[in-house]
Amino acid sequence: MFNLLPAFSLGVLLIVMEGRGSAVNTPASRPVTRKSKSYGRSCVEAPSYFWQTPGHLTVLKVPTSRGAAKSQIITNKVDPEHIALLVKNEWKLSYVTPLHHFRHTQLKSYAKHLSAFIVAEKQQGVAVEVGLDAGFKVTFTAVLGLAETDEDAETVFIQIQSKPVFAAAADAPKVVWRGWLTCVNGDPEYLRSLPPDFVSLPLFCTSGPESLTNLVKSWFERAFDCNFGSLALNSSTLNWLAALWTGCHPACNIRYLKLSWSLPTEPPLDVLYTVNPQDAWELWNSIHPQENTDDRIDIKDVQAFMSGMETHFFRHFKIHLSAGTLLKVSTALGSAHHDGKIKIGNSDYITTLLALLTECALLKMPT
Amino acid sequence: MAGLSNLTGLVSEPSGEAESSVSSVSNRSLRLAEKEKKKGEADPFTAAAKYLSQFKAGTTVRGNDELERSILVVETVAVSKGLPPEVITVLLDLALSLNAGTPNCSRILKFLIPATVVPQEAIVKGVSWLCVGKMPMNAQVLFLRWVLTVFDLIDCKDDLRSIYGFIFSFVTEETLCPFICHLLYLLTTREHVHPYRVRKLLDIQAKMGRQPFLTQLLALYKVFRPDLVTLSLPSRARTGFKNHNSTWKVALSAVQRKNKGAVLVDQSLSVDVKEKPSSRKRKRHHLAVPPLSSAFDSNSSKKGLRLQELRSFKELLENIHNIELPAQMGSMLGSTLALHYLDCVQDESAFLRLNFWLGHSLQEEFLLCPVDGSSDNTSEACRFLNTILFSQQFLQEGFSSTESFLYKFLSVWDGSLLRPQILDLLSDIPLMPSFYMNKLLFEPLKQLYFTSTVFFKCSVIECLNSMLVKWLTWHSVSASEGSLDISLNSNSTMTMTLSGFMDSVMELVRFVGLLASEGLRLENCHVLLLNQTLAFYETVCDMFLKYSLPLIIMPPAGVFYPALFAIDSISLDRLGYIMYRYRMNLTLAKQQKQQREQTFHISRNAYKEFNRNLQTMVNSMWNSQWCIPGSDLEINKDLIALSKIAEPWCCFDIIHHPALFSYAIEFHQRCWPERKDVDLGSIKTGKYWNWYMEFLFNQGFDGLNNFIRTNTGHGPSSSSQDDRQPLSQNCH
Repeated sequence: MFNLLPAFSLGVLLIVMEGRGSAVNTPASRPVTRKSKSYGRSCVEAPSYFWQTPGHLTVLKVPTSRGAAKSQIITNKVDPEHIALLVKNEWKLSYVTPLHHFRHTQLKSYAKHLSAFIVAEKQQGVAVEVGLDAGFKVTFTAVLGLAETDEDAETVFIQIQSKPVFAAAADAPKVVWRGWLTCVNGDPEYLRSLPPDFVSLPLFCTSGPESLTNLVKSWFERAFDCNFGSLALNSSTLNWLAALWTGCHPACNIRYLKLSWSLPTEPPLDVLYTVNPQDAWELWNSIHPQENTDDRIDIKDVQAFMSGMETHFFRHFKIHLSAGTLLKVSTALGSAHHDGKIKIGNSDYITTLLALLTECALLKMPT
Repeated sequence: MAGLSNLTGLVSEPSGEAESSVSSVSNRSLRLAEKEKKKGEADPFTAAAKYLSQFKAGTTVRGNDELERSILVVETVAVSKGLPPEVITVLLDLALSLNAGTPNCSRILKFLIPATVVPQEAIVKGVSWLCVGKMPMNAQVLFLRWVLTVFDLIDCKDDLRSIYGFIFSFVTEETLCPFICHLLYLLTTREHVHPYRVRKLLDIQAKMGRQPFLTQLLALYKVFRPDLVTLSLPSRARTGFKNHNSTWKVALSAVQRKNKGAVLVDQSLSVDVKEKPSSRKRKRHHLAVPPLSSAFDSNSSKKGLRLQELRSFKELLENIHNIELPAQMGSMLGSTLALHYLDCVQDESAFLRLNFWLGHSLQEEFLLCPVDGSSDNTSEACRFLNTILFSQQFLQEGFSSTESFLYKFLSVWDGSLLRPQILDLLSDIPLMPSFYMNKLLFEPLKQLYFTSTVFFKCSVIECLNSMLVKWLTWHSVSASEGSLDISLNSNSTMTMTLSGFMDSVMELVRFVGLLASEGLRLENCHVLLLNQTLAFYETVCDMFLKYSLPLIIMPPAGVFYPALFAIDSISLDRLGYIMYRYRMNLTLAKQQKQQREQTFHISRNAYKEFNRNLQTMVNSMWNSQWCIPGSDLEINKDLIALSKIAEPWCCFDIIHHPALFSYAIEFHQRCWPERKDVDLGSIKTGKYWNWYMEFLFNQGFDGLNNFIRTNTGHGPSSSSQDDRQPLSQNCH
């Protein structure tokens, strides 16, 4: 009754014929630009892996081996007075994105501005003349010599002293806050990929009241268009520190290796595990013999070291430490806490520690 | 006494000039001129103004009836019509010189309502009287309040700016200080801010405490010279200046309403330089767009204009070559004016700063610390993402830090947190090589898609549709621009060949095809999902015609058949439209191919698939057939017999199709209202068939209409050389 097929099949045929003729030609090879202008770097085509080959982030960035800790008499390179400022204190860690237009030659002017800023923030709504000492004295110092490579920017140390209004003339101003920005052995590829008007000092250590820390941070954010974030140390970093410090024992007595765990039981169980330094070293030496000429330490060695200690603990207490979180590692050389607090005990091994922390900070950089 | 001579000139003008021109004008105008002259002489206002302008110092004031009368006349006019500029000058001079006595000074000031503008020299002279220092304090205050009130009506402010120093000197007068600060605030430019002035203001601040007017002026100084002064405004500070216009407000606005078209005075004069109040709730608020501020870089010799000084798009255009980037690039997202400028910025460092800030904010909020009570922050997060979205849509381009954030975030997203924003951001993702798409985009999206509700599925398809439209639009723009100069900024652009672009598009379309067919199967051909899917294919089918991309991809069977057998008429109609557009695209491709040897090709498979779909559609809807000869799609007859439906092949023809069934019934009722038993078969006979078609098309089924017209030659068909016959002729 309805026979519409001819009309349609004609149309169909017509098109089939066209299809037949075409061979698989190479499409026009005219290049197509993705953007006429890019708001930032393309995150797909990366100049280096730090500029994120997306999806590969976590795989690529974390190194699996590093050099053993080496002692160097740092005071030969750096002013001993400066070094004295860095050891002994407990420092809270943060990471900082690269600073724009930061110049080491302008430190005096920065000090003036920061002190005026702090006064203005403390007295909301009152204007403060820049360069007038009132209440706070800020000093910026360049700690020369701490940088390891040409790419590393020199460390900057900041100190805030408070000058009480009614203090006697003889009273020395009291140091209320200290902090420093540093970069030791930063990934050269990353540092080189930054335009020249940026200075990367990714690790920020502070000691002093939180309110002042926040003021300093917000001044930096306004002055150099950078951003701060807190830097927590994951257990992999802490494992590395435990192994690196233990490896130093023959050269420098580490006195003890203290590890502290938190186990997710009800109620939570805190385990403080103190190991005799000699025992710890012997375990380490059995995994990574000292006479090994190759100075690299592999992450596998570190894992073996930690699991050796965990096994030992299990034998005595029947507790699997691996089920918990490693919170703190400390030796006479220094200590590091999971929530991002460190202490430097011995200045001779400062470079190793700072290089590791710089690396952690760089891993946090937004891409 | 320029104003005075001016005035006399004005008054005597009619008498002098009118006479000289008498001979040349007609009688009528002569009469008019005379009338005018009389009126001029008789006008009590002119006379009074003349009298007041000639009022000498030392003339008796007390008991001077003429003075009293003149002031009264002028006052009446002032309040009703406003005063012309010359009279303003005269009266202000008379009042401030105190020639007419102290009481008259404030009396005159109070009715000094300008009709149009206030001449600048009147104010300058006023300030000079202020410097003489004879005026009582309340008169000084009144004068300053008056200046502030009429500030916007002052014709030109150059001379006022050049006596900035004189005005500034009054800042030490405690009573005058608030008004002087306000006036200075309105006059200050960067050249006026000097260290000694800053110091003076700070001295006063030390004496008077934190006064809003001082704070406001100092905040402006900070905008111009952040290297001299710093200040932070508390979140709840009273900022801005008080309005001092109470004395004149009513009269002034009445006069202005009457003289419409004249300059309007802005009743609220204070311009806000206040920074946005920072919330004290969060310890570190990384989710706020920072306020615009300038860097204190003291050695910057080039004095560019700061973005926060700009008030209008016009100002931006005039100064576009000379604008300083803000201290924090992120602050540019807070203002549309700044976004306009951002669109012109070519500085790589600037974009890097912006992306560092944006990437950091997103990372801190969504990736690193989602624990700290993120639930109560969603409104803040939502506002932030909306700001980004707004900026990206404004710039018609996504930021690279948003892009890389999304790749990371997709793998941890639960699919519900801020869904609309995240999906909108996703649709802004720029074109990328097909190689990355699977891993970065499709894998995480697929997992979310198949584990979420049908509404999420719809949103995903919608999002990918919008992404495809953006890619295609970008391509069609760049293709029409010809060859883009790639070398111009080769370090920041990614190059991709046309075939690479086609690969990416193909990959995206293929992925949506997969999502849609599986989704439709899982959701029992949910009508919303089907419609989102068809909306996507409406984009796909037109890629060649609309976006000049030589690529034609047919929908997979999992999409085509659910649409063909849909129970709602809208889906069926959309399918008809899509098939119609496919045909138009294929026909054009074929014609271009014939005309000139194009390098592109439409794959043979596309033609094949189109023909197969076309055949299926026509067979089932018109020919009541199911089997397609030579196709792999055949249904076992025994299987169909199991369903025990009498004539299964008729079930999806244009009358019995579930989507159109109700229309067929309605048509039947209209044709044969008296019939009790419905026999839809009778629609197929004779003229009723044509009527039924017309009836259907009148219901708004344009898609089906187009489909039938083009595929049957019924109506205007673009294809030539075919001998197709109208639908009706094939029926017998």
